[in-house]
Amino acid sequence: MILQIALLAGLVLFSAAAVLFKDLIRSAVCLAVASLLLGIIFFRMGAPYAGAFEISVVAGLITVLFILTIALTRVGGDVKESKISSLAFPLFFVIFLAIDFFVMKSIVTKISSLPGTPETGSFGEVLWNRRTLDLVGQIAIIFAGVFSVLALFRKREHK
Amino acid sequence: MNSLWFVYMGFAAVLLFVGIYCLLTMKNLIKLFIGVEIVSKAVSLVLAATGFARQNILVAQALVVTYIVIEVSLVATALAIIINIYRHTNSLDVRKIAKLKG
Repeated sequence: MILQIALLAGLVLFSAAAVLFKDLIRSAVCLAVASLLLGIIFFRMGAPYAGAFEISVVAGLITVLFILTIALTRVGGDVKESKISSLAFPLFFVIFLAIDFFVMKSIVTKISSLPGTPETGSFGEVLWNRRTLDLVGQIAIIFAGVFSVLALFRKREHK
Repeated sequence: MNSLWFVYMGFAAVLLFVGIYCLLTMKNLIKLFIGVEIVSKAVSLVLAATGFARQNILVAQALVVTYIVIEVSLVATALAIIINIYRHTNSLDVRKIAKLKG
């Protein structure tokens, strides 16, 4: 449990660092480390497929896409952020932590949970047999993403 | 629900706070998108932790995998839009995209 809490704390710290760093490359790397920690948490929960997806796709592919975008928008892409937002972050963070610590548990315990039974079978059976309809939706979303990227990067016609 | 689930929920809430703070205060488009990514991490943590606590980790895992695939599609589209905005305005400042402002 201590290791799990340390991993969760690392996840929050690296996410906060990704927000607070001024350099975008550093932010992207911090986000990748946070994804890596989340992947390890998934592995420790007994969800190896989710962990492998998180590490390979989110920590790998999405970080590459981020760094590519940062490289393409390097010239003139710097935006001055207000200093107040960075300075006020620790204050708001501590206030939220206090609210989270004292109030959240009482709110969450009020949510009644439905009775559930432990599941059997393999991950493949659950993914392909029990969840067929939303997989169709997922395929549609992937195609929508592909077509939107193609549409956004199509060659302009020069008159 | 065991006590570890409350710990997961607490940390997920903190992650959600960090993401929303980023979305509310930052002006750089890429930073804003990093905020969206942090919020999505909180959501996938909640999904997996609830499945883990309810001993339904297989369904939760399948949902997280689906969520990650959708997230990649979202990231690809959003970053393409950001590059196009940069080509038009030569800046990543969100305040400069105010042409539709009423």
